[in-house]
Amino acid sequence: MLLSSSTYFLFLSALFFLYWPLSRWRAAGLAALLFANYFFYAKWDLFYLFLIPLCSTCDFAIGLGLGRFQRPAVRKLLVSLSLLLNLGMLAAFKYMPFILENFTRLSGRPAPLWQWTFPLGISFYAFQSLTYTIDLYRKDAKPTQSLLAHLTATSFFPTILAGPITRVPDLIKQFEKPNKSLDAADGSRALFLIGLGLLKKLLLADYLAENLVNRVFDFPGLYSSAEVLTGVYAYALQLYFDFSGYTDVAIGSALLLGIKLPQNFNMPYAATNINDFWRRWHISLSNWLRDYLFFSLPGKRNAVMPYCNIIITMALGGLWHGASWNFVIWGLLHGVAQAVARGWQSWRGQKATPFTPAWFRTFCTVQFVCFAWIFFRSTNLEQAGKIIDQLGELTYSLDNVSRPLWIVLAIAIAGHYLPKSWFEQIRETFVRSPFVVQAAALMALIVAIQYIAATGAAPFIYTNF
Amino acid sequence: MLLPPKVTLTLLTLAALLSAPDFIPVIKDYHVIDWTSFAKVVDFQPRIKSQNPIEEEQQRLKPDTSVEKAEVRPLIDPANALEPFFASLYSTERKDPGAVTRILHYGDSPTTADLITADVRFLFQKDFGDAGHGFALVGKPWAWYGHRGLEIKSSGWKIEPANTAELKDGFYGLGAVSFRGSAGAQSRIILKDATHSSVEVSFLSQVEGGSFRLLADGNELGTVDTASPVVTPSFQSFNLPFGVRELQISNVFGRVRLYGLRFSKSVPGVEYNSLGVNGAYISILARMVDEQHWADQLQHHRPNLVIINYGTNESVYTQFVDTAFERELLRTIARVRKAVPQAAILIMSPMDRGQKGSDGEITTVPALARLVAIEQRVAAEKGCAFFNTFEAMGGPGTMGRWYHAEPRLVGADFIHPMPGGAKIVGNLLYKSLQQGYRAHKLRIAKEKFATIKGLSSTQAN
Repeated sequence: MLLSSSTYFLFLSALFFLYWPLSRWRAAGLAALLFANYFFYAKWDLFYLFLIPLCSTCDFAIGLGLGRFQRPAVRKLLVSLSLLLNLGMLAAFKYMPFILENFTRLSGRPAPLWQWTFPLGISFYAFQSLTYTIDLYRKDAKPTQSLLAHLTATSFFPTILAGPITRVPDLIKQFEKPNKSLDAADGSRALFLIGLGLLKKLLLADYLAENLVNRVFDFPGLYSSAEVLTGVYAYALQLYFDFSGYTDVAIGSALLLGIKLPQNFNMPYAATNINDFWRRWHISLSNWLRDYLFFSLPGKRNAVMPYCNIIITMALGGLWHGASWNFVIWGLLHGVAQAVARGWQSWRGQKATPFTPAWFRTFCTVQFVCFAWIFFRSTNLEQAGKIIDQLGELTYSLDNVSRPLWIVLAIAIAGHYLPKSWFEQIRETFVRSPFVVQAAALMALIVAIQYIAATGAAPFIYTNF
Repeated sequence: MLLPPKVTLTLLTLAALLSAPDFIPVIKDYHVIDWTSFAKVVDFQPRIKSQNPIEEEQQRLKPDTSVEKAEVRPLIDPANALEPFFASLYSTERKDPGAVTRILHYGDSPTTADLITADVRFLFQKDFGDAGHGFALVGKPWAWYGHRGLEIKSSGWKIEPANTAELKDGFYGLGAVSFRGSAGAQSRIILKDATHSSVEVSFLSQVEGGSFRLLADGNELGTVDTASPVVTPSFQSFNLPFGVRELQISNVFGRVRLYGLRFSKSVPGVEYNSLGVNGAYISILARMVDEQHWADQLQHHRPNLVIINYGTNESVYTQFVDTAFERELLRTIARVRKAVPQAAILIMSPMDRGQKGSDGEITTVPALARLVAIEQRVAAEKGCAFFNTFEAMGGPGTMGRWYHAEPRLVGADFIHPMPGGAKIVGNLLYKSLQQGYRAHKLRIAKEKFATIKGLSSTQAN
């Protein structure tokens, strides 16, 4: 059940009409949400109905232990158990084919076949779930006594496919809040976000993918260097609109149920350096990697280790995206760039005036990010090499980029760089509109998707990770 | 709170708007939601249990595109148009001295990348012997251009493919691409197979023509002066020392105009020439290349079979399909027949070409079936053989199925096959030709048997 599909919106509407009358009784409301979460998982695969409750219950028990025991050795043991459980699940159900493939490559012996691959949502589930036990271990949060609240928070359906990665203690706090309500403004914002997410995904991201990006990445040799470069830029926009579209639908869906999720994007291609980029792109993942991985690595006081730790963190972050060397290289590129940028900033001092204007730094940052996207998008290193080779041919024809495509690219660029105040003005105009106008606006969007997008929805890119 | 009032009202109004076409006859054609599809909300798909996990996984990772699995779709050849080709193939199979069977395969972008043709070449040469790689352009007009077994790098050439119509004279050589160079232009060709015995350079002799030099593994094979009082297609052959892997051809003086290199071996076998032009359409052969010049090229190469494999690019121009395609195809056949009357002609239909509809379904472009029908009819009328690639690969909607296959067999443009898809088409073509060849051999055997029987009965009498 994709978050852009009509079945999802029927599911969400049904839940909305079921949840709010029940939410007067906390347990009943939570039970409705938990049922919805597991219903959502079961739509992907019935096996999740066994896997997720089992892992969540183990983490809940570990959380109770962390609340009870104060001896460091016991606490370490408990948090290690949680790490083993969640990372083990990630390894077993997502990375095993990659591990076996590399085993075969290195040993020359055929590896056994692995049938238990359930990649969907596992990465996000594992990272989200670990926030609970690690926060408890660090005493940044208190354990919940409610298994129901814990199970509901760890499997909360809007976040589970592709984030935003939300700290479970924050979610539990919201679930346990008595007398929940949804005021007209938040309700309207939720609908606005859902509509905006669909527009981003179906009218922009999918159009760019269908009409340029997929073609260029399949057969770079059929296109000129200029067309391949346009394809790479288009992919950068596609990925942004796809993922931020998903996030908008997720945040809007949660808000419709009275739950606030963190922001995940803030105009990433306006970043003036690579560290700034990671403060704007997939913010919840950046925060997770910083708080739970980077800060956990040794050598904070060493002169060199923090830079190595950045590289290690980003390489593992790359691997988290997918079991492939492409993602590792993408992560390494970002890690090295961040380490260099951090070193440069330390050497020059945080408040030193940059040598170059902001627009130039943004331009350079975007070029680097787009170069790294080549590895992220390519299915293997050979394909990435072909794209780079083709860019190096320096041929300039743009015959394969049609006029509608230029228009969509222009709209996408304008949409990305739209000033925040303008965006808020548009949103608040929608929020203040009467319900009839809101319904008509959403109807117009649905009609536009039906008659303009006209391609059928592709799965969200980040649901693969 | 029972229900948040404003959101509830918005959602109910939206539902009413969405269902309006169901109740208001005037707008009944403007459905945006299929309410029956909502039954899918409670449609749970159980995890598919593998019956034979090892075999299924191996099939998924490496789909069986072998020739044995290709389902044969017979060639349509009521006039036995391929008889001269099969006769030559028979001689090649018997390893008669000098029995080389030459095939020229003209096509569009898949052929440019030697997709399909490389697979057919491999199969022919495996079964009948390898007479060499055949013709290759001296440079890469498109990054997509490539031949399996060759690595081509070039610089400094002014490259003019026939479909750009930049050359007024229409002298584009066998491969429909001209390479004009001045001093400094050069190409490097690396051969995977080091057993070729000769290489032939095709070029244009012209007034004030310059000269080019050919090196093999760094040693000079010769320098050729292309100056001539008359403009004429020319060919210069060089023997290759055994084991040569790298050839370098460079313009050393003045201006030269080259077309390609042809690699041969001095053994009986099949030479399968892949002659693709990106974005090609039938008019390239019908009128863009000069008739006499092309005829000279064909006569020099002495093909036993000429395959004309166009239609994909034309299939989206409905008016062209309906008004001009047949005329252009007839003209092309007439040109080939006039130039090389001894050669058999096979019209090979285009593959399926997909397009995505408003419902997301990938369907065949509407004019394709009509175009294939025209090709089939023209082939029958003009005594050519016909191979229906479109039907052989599965007919309408094949590209949709191929796109959703795991791994994918066609690219995101629903036109260009992935190597796995190309291999399937190559195998289908080869198997059909092989079936026709077997029928030919059976006919010969029957005729011989009848002759022997006739002789014996005469002797007995």
